[in-house]
Amino acid sequence: MPRWGMAVDLDRCNGCAACVVACHAENNISTVGADEAARGRAKHWLRIERYWEGEFPDARLTFRPVLCQHCDNAPCEPVCPTYASHHTEDGLNAQVYNRCIGTRYCANACPYNVRFFDFFNPSWDKPLHLQLNPDVSLREAGVMEKCTFCVQRIQAAGTQASAEEREVQDGEIQPACVQSCPSKALVFGDLDDPGSRVSQLSRSPRGSKLLEDVGTRPKITYLARQSQA
Amino acid sequence: MDRRSFIKLTAVTGTSAALASCGNPENQLIRFVPAEDIVPGIAVWKPGVCPLCQAGCGLTVRVMDADADVVRNGQAGLVRIAAAKKLEGASDHPVNHGGLCARGQAAIQITYHPDRITQPLKRSGDRGSGRFEAISWDDALGDLARRLDALETAGNQRAVAFLTRPGAGFRQTLIDQFVSRFGAPAPVAYELFGDDVQRQANALSFGRHQVQTLDLANTRYLLGFGADFLGTWNSPVAQGAGYGAMRQGRLGVRGVFVQVEARMSQTGANADEWVAARPGTEGVLALGLAHVMMAEKLVPDSAGRAGAIVAGWSDGLVDYAPDRVERSTGVPAARVERLAREFAATRPAAAIVGGPPLAHSNGLFTALAVNALNALVGSVDQPGGMSFMPQLDTVAAAGLTGSPARQTIERFAADALSGRPAPDVVFIDGVNPVFTAPPAWRVREALDQAAFVVSFGSFLDETSVLADLVLPDHSFLESWSEAVPEAGAGVAVASVAPPVMRPLYDTRATGDVLLDIGRRLRRPLELPWQTFDEMLAASFSALPSATADADAWTDAQAKGVWSGPLPPRLARQTGLASPARRTFSFEAPRFDGDAQQYPFHFLPYPSTAFLDGSLAHLPWLQEMPDPLTSAMWSSWIEINPATAARLRIGDGDVVEVASSQGALQAAAVITPGIAPDVVAMPMGQGHRTFTRYASGRGVNPIEIVAAVTEPATGALAWAATRVRVSRLGPPDSRLVRFAGGMREETEERR
Amino acid sequence: MTHPTGSRINNDLLRPLLLTSWRFYVLVAFFGAFVAAGLIAWLSQIFFGFGISGLRWPVYWGFYVTNFVFWIGISHAGTLISAILRLVNAGWRRPVTRCAEVITVFALLIGAMFPLIHLGRPWLAFWLFPYPSERLIWPNFRSPLVWDFFAINTYLTGSILFLFLPMIPDFAVVRDRATGLRRRVYRVLALGWRGTPKQWHRLETAMQIMAIAIIPVAVSVHTIVSFDFSMAPVPMWNTTIFGPYFVAGAIFSGIAGLLIAMAALRKFLHLEEYLHPVHFENLGKLLLVMALLWGYFVFNERLVTYYGNGPAEMAVFRQTQWQSFAPLHWTMVFLNFVLPLTLMGIRKFRTIAGCVIASIGVIVGMWLERFLIIVPALGHKYLPYSYGTYRPEPVEIVITIASFAAMSLLYVLFAKFIPIISIWELKAGEHPPAPDLVPPATEEHRLGDLRL
Repeated sequence: MPRWGMAVDLDRCNGCAACVVACHAENNISTVGADEAARGRAKHWLRIERYWEGEFPDARLTFRPVLCQHCDNAPCEPVCPTYASHHTEDGLNAQVYNRCIGTRYCANACPYNVRFFDFFNPSWDKPLHLQLNPDVSLREAGVMEKCTFCVQRIQAAGTQASAEEREVQDGEIQPACVQSCPSKALVFGDLDDPGSRVSQLSRSPRGSKLLEDVGTRPKITYLARQSQA
Repeated sequence: MDRRSFIKLTAVTGTSAALASCGNPENQLIRFVPAEDIVPGIAVWKPGVCPLCQAGCGLTVRVMDADADVVRNGQAGLVRIAAAKKLEGASDHPVNHGGLCARGQAAIQITYHPDRITQPLKRSGDRGSGRFEAISWDDALGDLARRLDALETAGNQRAVAFLTRPGAGFRQTLIDQFVSRFGAPAPVAYELFGDDVQRQANALSFGRHQVQTLDLANTRYLLGFGADFLGTWNSPVAQGAGYGAMRQGRLGVRGVFVQVEARMSQTGANADEWVAARPGTEGVLALGLAHVMMAEKLVPDSAGRAGAIVAGWSDGLVDYAPDRVERSTGVPAARVERLAREFAATRPAAAIVGGPPLAHSNGLFTALAVNALNALVGSVDQPGGMSFMPQLDTVAAAGLTGSPARQTIERFAADALSGRPAPDVVFIDGVNPVFTAPPAWRVREALDQAAFVVSFGSFLDETSVLADLVLPDHSFLESWSEAVPEAGAGVAVASVAPPVMRPLYDTRATGDVLLDIGRRLRRPLELPWQTFDEMLAASFSALPSATADADAWTDAQAKGVWSGPLPPRLARQTGLASPARRTFSFEAPRFDGDAQQYPFHFLPYPSTAFLDGSLAHLPWLQEMPDPLTSAMWSSWIEINPATAARLRIGDGDVVEVASSQGALQAAAVITPGIAPDVVAMPMGQGHRTFTRYASGRGVNPIEIVAAVTEPATGALAWAATRVRVSRLGPPDSRLVRFAGGMREETEERR
Repeated sequence: MTHPTGSRINNDLLRPLLLTSWRFYVLVAFFGAFVAAGLIAWLSQIFFGFGISGLRWPVYWGFYVTNFVFWIGISHAGTLISAILRLVNAGWRRPVTRCAEVITVFALLIGAMFPLIHLGRPWLAFWLFPYPSERLIWPNFRSPLVWDFFAINTYLTGSILFLFLPMIPDFAVVRDRATGLRRRVYRVLALGWRGTPKQWHRLETAMQIMAIAIIPVAVSVHTIVSFDFSMAPVPMWNTTIFGPYFVAGAIFSGIAGLLIAMAALRKFLHLEEYLHPVHFENLGKLLLVMALLWGYFVFNERLVTYYGNGPAEMAVFRQTQWQSFAPLHWTMVFLNFVLPLTLMGIRKFRTIAGCVIASIGVIVGMWLERFLIIVPALGHKYLPYSYGTYRPEPVEIVITIASFAAMSLLYVLFAKFIPIISIWELKAGEHPPAPDLVPPATEEHRLGDLRL
């Protein structure tokens, strides 16, 4: 059984936000409009965090794409009373929308704030709805939604591979964000396969986990941006 | 959304179709036969071409079944169509290598935009009122042909103007043919953030009237002068790919990146070192570096033609000694020397310039200075440096002759307003100069002089709304699409793709419409093709095939791209007839507005989401947090913290920015990434009319930009306006930000 | 003991049941209107979507959870206090116990509403219950919210029993004096009470068992409510002090609630001769003790955080202590500590009015405490990019007000239909209990001399 994970090379990432829009396009994440966005209801399963350090003229900036870390020890999972938030066999922090009753406890427990609540039913001005991905379910008002590592793509690749009676190849599965990234800062794959690119990168000395001291054991490794040599 | 529409959206089933058609007897009766062979639930991937910028990235479009309300043969109904679902970068495309930027990802919303124009429209109210009535294609084209015939009868063909985007694709070639065969003046090309100055400088320095391609993947030291090459400039996806490889693509080698710019752009944010030189003096810094390198004998002195046209080069650029550079640019002399040594010591190294440094009255000099610097370190046509990509000559490929000419929009407006000649019929294709040109050029007034304005736009923007006749184009997914990129790859590239899906509405491909009009004229234009795809077929067939089993045309359609070595006769001749005789030296940039009265430089910059504003109608881009400020759905103005403190402006406060041209109000974003004497504002918002998502949102900075131009090219010097800034009041709801806090020290937790 | 005796007790305490004044209708209408407004607000939240609340990313818990914790806290007024006083056999408890116990039941009912109100999809709330379903999915027993469900249900069941048992003899009294329909209703409620020595003995035994059993349940309930917070890795939540801290806070606010209720009953039902200043003074002393305990816990929690200086905790700490939540924080400290200490610590302020003022302060202060535990921590959780804040919208304010109105309404109705002071216990207090009923260690205490 694979264990899906990701490596994010912060030295390659340049904050272009292609992944942010790719995620919206793939996962039927509705836009909420200016008024609701102002009320804190915008949903971005993947966001580019950026932080300033220092003052002019020595200001420095860092970008960091933050998405669900798919923690091995995920705080969101035990707190859900209905098992809507649960761990799959291949290590994903899955969110079963149909089972979610909207306690929002998982979002509180998540140290990364990568879970988003649907305050209203999603809507698309016709015919924008024609773009919707039939492989991804829509979320009704009152449920939590979050990054799935594009589980629909993982499933599709698995089905294809088993139809062809072979294993899924490394690099065959690309979540939408990984696929779109111009600078190839995101790498996805099986962490249990020591030869996969993602596990090689995860073992890099530049690697670290986000908020490692919280003890969540995330499956995303951030490769630090190197300073000028 | 109610339960019913919820089901309808999730499941694409016959039941949902029946539910949706309840209460509408027409829909119940008409069940269209599915448009094509679709296997429900099975995705097909088809090639496409991204239409949004000049980069011409290749797409792979995911196509699946969907139930759409369509009008076919005058009847409304619900039909199962093959609909585009997602755009991805084509993995084997020589420009974008599988990547696609945020804007490209959102391009699919153009096709499905709720405010798309669905059929030809005729103006019914006052011009600009936005009131239109439906008209049939036959009537519309017949009417237009009659008007053109009348002009021809009167011998007044020069009263036709064609406003289009710059570019060297087949569509532009067709427009050129249409215009010249009719006898009209050359098309008017306008792009706010265009690269005319760059091309002119490259022509002077290297004999190539073309934007350069960067081999970032092999660069070890990259010196950027204002070019937002990872965000909005030139071919961002190709450059992003190169950047990733430059940083971490080589074992043990990590390219260094230094960026010179007064406002830290998204690209500059990634630099190892940020150098905030005074606006308009970037060329001085470039030559200062060259001076140190030559004085310290770090490199051979020769920079060939690129050096020769810089005044004082043969004397070792004594006027650009570090202390003088410090006085001019504000960059300490010691830092100039250090940067020069680093730049000279690392091979391969490259310098690039673009964006704000070229948007000054001395922009050409700045570009020439950076070109000379590149020539000095030997980065021209070298791995890890800059080069010029062979470009397909679409005119030659199409079996025609002649080289395209272009007018500037400033000239067009001035001529129209002075009545020589007063335009009679004006065509508008893919440009919105009423929004993107400075008010002093009076483009709107110029269009008001025209008797008949024809727009091919899919949306009513500030320019299209003035049209008398709207002949809506297909979306790029519904028609043949093509692009001939100018930069971004090592070999010649021509992208082409057949329609991905059938048109949703009663629209027509503009290329086909132009050919149709040409046939309808009393004296037909005798263009050699019936349709636009015939032109593409003929042109691509002239290309050498990349594979043995298929001709170039078949192969290109299947892959979405043709690339390879180009026979000389099909390569675009970009050289200048005669090299420049004069030499160039630094002239202080000319600014509009007195430094006392208007103490700040005003920098309107292309927004990551909307470029020049042409994408503000896409909700995904509106809601995408800006990479630097996390702002969504808003306009803002960036101010240095020290300046803000002096003016008592707090983060989010409403401020007024005033230039000699007018005043704007926007929310302040206080950021250390901008020089104290510069304020910056993204382009894109402030549309008066541009669909439900963009209209009436934010402000348009170009409205206060003065009409200062770069004299050699006539390009707008959009960074040459001075402004004053004052606080109006406390924060209000106009600025929406996604992030709660971003000014904290970075925590690198381990 | 200076309150009336014998049949006067019956007359005074049964008066509200048998006579209905216009003021009763006015009060019911007044509070009922607020409750109706709250219901409309909740329905509109369900109808229009949760978005009409002020919750936003990342502060997904706000007023509703504050109210939940607050009302569960208030519920500690009764049963716990009454059980302890019964166990130590404090004689002055007699007029107080029932109005305390009833607070417990009503506060629990109201508090238990809030987890439902706060659900994104309240129509699926039954998924929290362990019932055999065709989905073959039981609730996740690892979730503190499921523990809440069990804890609150246990406490509610126990509290209702604890309230009901000593009401049986009083129902019998009412049954004997009422006529018609009322008589029939109270006959059912009295469960065949005849007042035989055997029945009395069983009642006393049951009360002893219940009093002992209910104390650990009460303590566990608020500890488990505190687990809702302390089990999540949220800065300033994930701490071991929360269990006792919440229990102490709950008792604290519970006593304050009881004092206010007693003062209101005394005034409106003219029970001056039953609820004496000395009762208030004794509870006031208890309030003082709890204020000190609360202060101790807060001091502890704050000092440890400050000294530990963890970056994530300090981000929240700074918000509450010095930044945007500071005004609320210092108001809370004043109301929960400075004010009760002053009013209850100085003998001459320890009057009925003083107690009521201090109690109102504590109620407000304890509500703020819960708010300040929840919101600043959620709004400043680790990554500064995802910081956020929260401002309630009208729907949340209306529902909050409605919950207070619901408490008042239920109290008014209760006082109308059931003797608010235990008649038989009051009478029993006139005579020393039979020696075999009183364990030697628990001698009757003199009034006004609480030695807990």
